[in-house]
Amino acid sequence: MTTWTSVRRCAAVLLLSGTAWLSTVTPAVAQRQSVPLDLPAGPALEGFDVSRLSNAGNGWFDTFHVEQTEPLDAVLEDGRLAGDTPMLVIETAAGALALVRDQMAFHHIAEGRAGGKDWMATF
Amino acid sequence: MVCNSGTSLVPTIGGAMHHFENVGLYDGLFVMQDTESKTFWNHMTGEALYGPEVGRVLGPIGNVLQITVDQSLAMGPDTRVAISDRPYFAAGERFGPDGVSASGARMAEGYAPANPDVRLSPMFTQTLGDEDTRLPRMTMGLALVTEATVRFYPMPAIEAADTVIDQIDGRSVVLYLDPTTFTPAAVFADTTSAAVDGPEIHLDGGRTVRDGVLYDATGTRLPTERPQQFFSRWYGVSLTFSDPEIYGR
Repeated sequence: MTTWTSVRRCAAVLLLSGTAWLSTVTPAVAQRQSVPLDLPAGPALEGFDVSRLSNAGNGWFDTFHVEQTEPLDAVLEDGRLAGDTPMLVIETAAGALALVRDQMAFHHIAEGRAGGKDWMATF
Repeated sequence: MVCNSGTSLVPTIGGAMHHFENVGLYDGLFVMQDTESKTFWNHMTGEALYGPEVGRVLGPIGNVLQITVDQSLAMGPDTRVAISDRPYFAAGERFGPDGVSASGARMAEGYAPANPDVRLSPMFTQTLGDEDTRLPRMTMGLALVTEATVRFYPMPAIEAADTVIDQIDGRSVVLYLDPTTFTPAAVFADTTSAAVDGPEIHLDGGRTVRDGVLYDATGTRLPTERPQQFFSRWYGVSLTFSDPEIYGR
């Protein structure tokens, strides 16, 4: 592997690691209590094996319910974000919406309404 | 989430917005549940898995682009941003409330690097179905998903070539490692050549891709179309989509 390729791979690894934590949680985190699942009576999608459904992580995360947005360029201008800050960007009915990747690595889900239509981002 | 895959979905059911939470794991991927119907949902496809809404899909699905602030503004100067009350880091500075763990931002640094040798913890593996062993479980890559095709491009294949030109559903697509974020990305572009040159990808006819935006030889912005793509791991792709193709095989 070339040095450049190695550098790029390391960088990609660092970027990826921003969301890798849940897979490799430490024992302390793993011991955190998960809330029991609230299972409906079904039905199941064909091929879905409910016996493999785990409650691991249930109650650990809060969905980001977006009530307000602001211009990204203004937030960059006032220094709350930097040009190289990693973001997740989706298209909504009102245009592009950016979410802070660090925050989404906790929330996993963001929901809101823009341009008269609901949107949701998962990560 | 370990497989790193994000999706844009539509949380509207029966004309009303439903509210979703991350409630558990299935196939090593986080599973959502909406509080209104209690249905469980696949977060990549938006497909209902278990509960009264089975048969419904939270679609149409769209891309979640993993890009920087500068790239976001290059793609759309009018981009808006939503910032939550969770801590985050920008330019090396911590933002957000004191006394709140920056778990989403910082915990990752202490855990295993995202490489093919990373192992899933038991709480994940116990939820896995029958795995497709054509590739190692944790292989990173870019999956392109169309109505007719699901094709996985392993990171080593993209890295080895710098760029990949391929056909998917009869359209020419260019895959590359973004020179800024070093994450793989794909755009539709009819070209016979693609080469990384600094921050740009050079295509036929003087066209370039820069910050995820396609430009013509004069520097005029062109419409940029992207296939549905997931920067993900093999286990997530292969357990979510039936019998995906593997690029190069």
